[in-house]
Amino acid sequence: MVIRRPSVFIYTYRPDAESLREICAGIEEEGVFFEVFEREEKKCAELAWEAARDSMLGSGIGINGGFAALSIRGLKEGECADILNEPDKRALRRLGGNSARIVKKQAFKVPSGPEEG
Amino acid sequence: MSIGKTGQINMIAGVDIGNSTTEVCIGEVLPDKHIRFLSSASVRTTGTKGTVDNVFGIRNALKKAVKPLGKEINDIDLVRLNEAAPVIGDTAMETLTETIITDSTMIGHNPSTPAGAGQAVGELLLFERLDRGKEGVPYIVAVPESCGYDVIADRINRASERLTIVGLILQADEAVLVENRLKNKLPIIDEVRRIEKLPDGVPAAIEVALPGQSITMLSNPYGIATLLKLNAEETRTITPIAKSLIGKRSAVVIKTPGGNVKENVLPAGEIYFYPEEDKSPESEYKDYFSTPGGSPVKTAAVSVNLDEGAENIMKALKKAGNIRDTGGQAGTNVGNMLLKIKREMWDTYGYEKTDVRITDILAVDTLAPVLISGALAGETCLEKAVGIAAMVRTQRLPMQDIADRLEKEDGLLVRVAGVEAVMASIGAMTTPGTKLPLAMLDMGGGSTDAALVDENGHITLTHQAGAGELVSMLIQTELGLKERQSAEQIKRYPLAKVESLFHMRMESGQIMFLEESIDPHFLGSVILLTEGGFVRIEEELPMEKIVQVRKEAKRKVFLTNALRALEKVAPGGELRNISNVVLVGGSAKDFEIPEMLTEEFAAYRIVCGRGNIRGTEGPRNAVATGLVMSYVGEL
Repeated sequence: MVIRRPSVFIYTYRPDAESLREICAGIEEEGVFFEVFEREEKKCAELAWEAARDSMLGSGIGINGGFAALSIRGLKEGECADILNEPDKRALRRLGGNSARIVKKQAFKVPSGPEEG
Repeated sequence: MSIGKTGQINMIAGVDIGNSTTEVCIGEVLPDKHIRFLSSASVRTTGTKGTVDNVFGIRNALKKAVKPLGKEINDIDLVRLNEAAPVIGDTAMETLTETIITDSTMIGHNPSTPAGAGQAVGELLLFERLDRGKEGVPYIVAVPESCGYDVIADRINRASERLTIVGLILQADEAVLVENRLKNKLPIIDEVRRIEKLPDGVPAAIEVALPGQSITMLSNPYGIATLLKLNAEETRTITPIAKSLIGKRSAVVIKTPGGNVKENVLPAGEIYFYPEEDKSPESEYKDYFSTPGGSPVKTAAVSVNLDEGAENIMKALKKAGNIRDTGGQAGTNVGNMLLKIKREMWDTYGYEKTDVRITDILAVDTLAPVLISGALAGETCLEKAVGIAAMVRTQRLPMQDIADRLEKEDGLLVRVAGVEAVMASIGAMTTPGTKLPLAMLDMGGGSTDAALVDENGHITLTHQAGAGELVSMLIQTELGLKERQSAEQIKRYPLAKVESLFHMRMESGQIMFLEESIDPHFLGSVILLTEGGFVRIEEELPMEKIVQVRKEAKRKVFLTNALRALEKVAPGGELRNISNVVLVGGSAKDFEIPEMLTEEFAAYRIVCGRGNIRGTEGPRNAVATGLVMSYVGEL
């Protein structure tokens, strides 16, 4: 019998290494498991939607190059909960954290402090 | 009285200007001198109650009321304005204690994800000085945000081969990330904003609680004494720290030489109640608000110290009987508080000092989370505070000015008619199922008014300080909300927690499913169920805590005040002599206050409930309805 850990799925297409690293750190800090998969080219929102659909926890992230999106199972096809077009390090970390918070049923982290605008 | 344009009064409008809403009731006078009610309307009061700014609101309310009748406001033959009682409620809050940390001596907070568990004692060592650490000395290492988690973990792992590292303090939110990469597990605290304030080389104790628990060692004065080897005197000075760490998930206590934390007790000051009967020249107190420092001569006044707490203040007030005025000791908290309330009135109405008197107060004990000055992670400490609502009696409000303005600008016939509370009682009697003698409790924003109408139609009145606005202030203070508006909404609407995109748990425990998925940003949040949709509560507060604070605030204000007010108007001061209580006014619309009172008064065998004016209006529109009805009585 194959038992898989319940985890947040991250579907990627040629992901920017630094972005992926920050997103994973965000999830890890919240204490939730994640798995990273390589996928065919799609928009990051679509990747996220599929990841959420396939994840046992119903939370998924899509990364295409430097773009990243967060989706939740139950949203309409292709819809996402958050999308980052010009992501900085903190925003990526937060996106990862929020995907874990969906699982933990905690409120999203919101940008804090003036340096984040 | 001159008669309207057509010479005949057919259509009458009753207008009630309240602290928050302006209510209108339109009625038609039938030939048999009965009234047929046509419509009603409610709008927000424009400007402060009793000022000419109210005219805009009145005009809007009148338009809104005549619109469904297919009429214009010029068709109204007579407008009757309430003779608003010249009393206005106001509130103030003052903290009585204050914890000051003059140097960095503690960190205690609830980061969402600390890591590791347990406690440790060591010397503080800054990350950049790791190389200078000595062998055999236990260290707690402080790491600034500029270092990434893998760098931190790597360097700590290598340094651990040589040094004894017992705990970590991080500036960034990376405790779990670092812990996952450490060979030896340590208690780690993160999200410490002002890490640069940590002194190097002083002894410190660190504690992280197990999941679901709160710290036990550092929230106990003897625990701190044990870890940091304090003597009895030092233990005494460290007690405020232990107190402020109670309930935290993680904490650091740093021993700096010479106890730098103290709990200041601010001079709270005395409140003086000047009883009404006392007209002897000795009781002159005309300069009490200008006496600097010294206490003015007040032989007959009843005085009580603010830090004796709400209960004793209210006892002293009761002992004083009817109050002519209230003052505070000059140069103290309460002195400033009461002065501030009076000053606001002077500013609003432009009165001379002596025209403003505080005839009643309601004091409520509360706890306010106050930012600890000198703390490192934005910690707050619950400080004892007293909230005060005051009933301010001024000269007659310039209602006639409002009437004149309306007559001039809109060509209406306007009369100021009837004392507000009397009109409210007349309106309240239209509630089905009531009979005389009847007590009416008008719970508004600024004051709680009570009136008792006996079988002969005699009315006894009282105005009490404290109502909806005091509740909002208590909610705002106790939850530490930034905006008064959030407190207003919390007061008004029930809560729910969004548990998934498709369901939420109500504060009653009930689950509600949604057809359409909710906005993902609401996920996991506590929200308010308003008629305009969901409103997210920005502060991270558990739903249970908000519910508890909200209910407690309402109880403290409205139960206390309802009992106080009814005792004043009840025959012989005995509540049991009242059989019916009808609740009217803005706060009677509240979704839980009337039920609280119904339950409480059931114990006295009093029928008490939310009014239903004219059987249709609910608890609102009582005064406006009374104004229309009383016109017939005047014919």
